[in-house]
Amino acid sequence: MIPLLMRIDIRGEGRPRGVRLFFPVILAWIVVLALLLAALPFVLVAALATIRRGPGVRLLQLYPALLAVLFSLSGFRVDIASHRDDRVFVSFD
Amino acid sequence: MSEETRKILEMLHEGKIGVEEAEKLLAAVSAPNAPTESPVAATGSKRYLRVQVDPEEGTVGDRVNIRVPMKLIRAGLKLAAFLPRDAQSQVNDALREKGMDLDLSKLTPQDLEELVANLDDLTVNVEGKQKVRIYSE
Repeated sequence: MIPLLMRIDIRGEGRPRGVRLFFPVILAWIVVLALLLAALPFVLVAALATIRRGPGVRLLQLYPALLAVLFSLSGFRVDIASHRDDRVFVSFD
Repeated sequence: MSEETRKILEMLHEGKIGVEEAEKLLAAVSAPNAPTESPVAATGSKRYLRVQVDPEEGTVGDRVNIRVPMKLIRAGLKLAAFLPRDAQSQVNDALREKGMDLDLSKLTPQDLEELVANLDDLTVNVEGKQKVRIYSE
């Protein structure tokens, strides 16, 4: 499932409260998907123009590969904490 | 209670193993006649690759906890195939410099499945200061 929410928590020395952000990443995906759709005709033309020599069909295969990465981001989590109480936490849920 | 179960519980009581390890061992002991799964098929149940870096007991250090979905690794591997050949050779050269003789273009999803299947739980002690644990769950 596509991630809907991105959580960011950054805390540093002197900033104990830090930055806590819940970002509805679904909004970003809508923009990304719209851009991908807008670029599709140009990609099709480029693929046809380079079908014999060059990237060709691989350009079209890039779309499902990109979408697969997007859809599998859910559950990705990075949490780094130093002994001085600095912390960077990013997760996609 | 079987002899194996008793031994596992004793090891848990003595603190030689943790609760998670004891659970795994008990599960393995309780199903000795279960059909053996091939390592590659076993990766189907593994959803995440975990990398944990913790300071050794009594030392001070940074902590890292990374959880990467297996799906993302597979998708990333497919995406790596779209890297231009020049970039791939640069990555391969950089890996070779670090002592890893690996050709990215020849890495297949099957290789990854086998790697994950065999990477049940790997713990590396770095200079007695940090403990790096890589496992799948």
